[in-house]
This record gives sequence, structure tokens and C-alpha cells, in this order.
Amino acid sequence: MTGHGSIVLIEQNCTSCMICARECPSWCITIDSHTETVVDQPAGARARTENVLDRFAIDWSLCMFCGICVDECPFDALEWATPQALPARTLTALTHEIPDLSAH
Amino acid sequence: MSGQLLSAEDVPTDRWLSSVQHARDLGFDYFDWLGCTDDIGRTDTFRVTVVLRDLADGGLRTRMLSTAVPRDEPVLDSIRTVFVGAGWHEREAAELFGLRFTGGDGRRLLLSPTFEGAPLRKEQVLGSRAAVGWPGAKEPGESAASPSRRRMVPPGVPDRDVWGERDSAQPPAEPAEVAASTGGGRVRRRSR
Repeated sequence: MTGHGSIVLIEQNCTSCMICARECPSWCITIDSHTETVVDQPAGARARTENVLDRFAIDWSLCMFCGICVDECPFDALEWATPQALPARTLTALTHEIPDLSAH
Repeated sequence: MSGQLLSAEDVPTDRWLSSVQHARDLGFDYFDWLGCTDDIGRTDTFRVTVVLRDLADGGLRTRMLSTAVPRDEPVLDSIRTVFVGAGWHEREAAELFGLRFTGGDGRRLLLSPTFEGAPLRKEQVLGSRAAVGWPGAKEPGESAASPSRRRMVPPGVPDRDVWGERDSAQPPAEPAEVAASTGGGRVRRRSR
């Protein structure tokens, strides 16, 4: 059984839809993204854009481990994990970015 | 609640105490709970509800009484002379909704003595949330470098046209207008 020590991001599933950041009651998720034109398109297709995730951060000093983001994510990009978020000497060091949040 | 649907008996405010007393005399002599809800947006009232039980038959017989307390004069008779335990619930409703219970215990229950306002009234604005940036305000594909023109507000913070940056020539927004705009979500386009 998966523990509830931390939340990991499965980056390739994330579409930067902002739902987790808006649903989070403690405002601990920060997302930056930009749009790019899809290049790999069949000839004659209409130009499409997609969102590209630049930054995904969880501030563990604010997170209350409610798991609403895990429940709300429509793309299963967030998941519970057993290892706990590591303690830090400063508050800012408790903000974990994409590399820290990726599943090991 | 025991698998049965309770329907509340609506009681006029001035007959609140006597109705509760009457129900107790009918055998509903166990006080279960008393609660309050804010009816803003539908009527300008608070609804106070009490549930009483008859323990003789396994506690299955219940009576629910409720009354609509006007918003501009939120005063109701206390029922703690009938059920002592109701005093605790009344103190909670009084401080969270700004009600006054005549003959009730006026002391605060949960909030600090310096707290101002009635936090469960729906027009109560989460001021500290209005003052800091909300991470969810951004749109998908948006970063601080390329802000979007659409605006989202978090739950509990009204549209800035209603509260915060309201046109000073206008009177302050009515409680119902503030309450209606604190649901969060997309903000309507600015009119000016």
C-alpha cells in the first residue's frame, strides 16, 4: 500500500491545466507554463498549440497533505508516495521543483 | 439519521421558545443539536434549526424545528432554559453568524476576543486571501512573464469591483452582492 508521505509529479501526464493549483485549499502549488505550436502535424492540418510545463512546485511548508490535488487531477499526473518530503533549514528550501517531485 | 428523512417544522421567531417547550412536553425531551445556516441570496434571513429526540423508542422519534431570523435584527430567544446543553450550540451560532440569543450565554466560545466579524456569514470576505497572490489565478499556458487578460479569483475573495477596489462614488456593496461574488471562479468583465 502506498504511503501518504509526499506527492509526486508524473511530468509527462501534466497538461498544465491549473486544476490542482485552483483546488488546493492551502495554495501550495505553483505552476508556470507556456504554449507552443505543435510541429509534428500531418500535412494540411490546422495549426495547433499545446501547453508546455515550465515550472511545477509544491511548497511543503504550506501543504496539509489533504490529497485533493491527487483526486482532482484529470490526467493522473499527481500521485501519493511513501517517502516523506525532506526537512530543510529554511522555508524556501521546502518548495520542491519538478526534479524533486519526480517519482524515484 | 436512522435512515429517515427529517422535515423541519417552520416556527415563527416569536413562538420559538414556546414551540421548543411544547415539543419537550410531547416527549421529545432529548436535545440533539442546534445549528444555523445563512440564507443570503434566497431570503434575508438566518435559519436556526433544532433537532429533538424521544429516547423512549430507541431515539427514533425526532422532531426538527426551524425558524427564520431576520438579517437586519438577528435576535432570537434562547432555549437554554428548556435544554441546558443548547446553550453551548447557541454560543457557537451566535459568534459564527452574529446572532443574539435573548437570555442566552453571551460569552464567546471558539473565536479570540479580538476577532471582529461573523466568519460563517456568507458575505464575510477572507481578507488575508485577497491580499496575497493566488497561484490558481494563472491560466493554462500562462506564466508571470506573459500574463493573460482573463481573471480568476479564489473562493472567499469577491470580485474587486464589488469589494476592495470598489468605485468610491458608490455606496458599499450590499451583503447579498458580496456573498454572491465570493464563490470563486472567473470574474466578469469590468464595466468601466
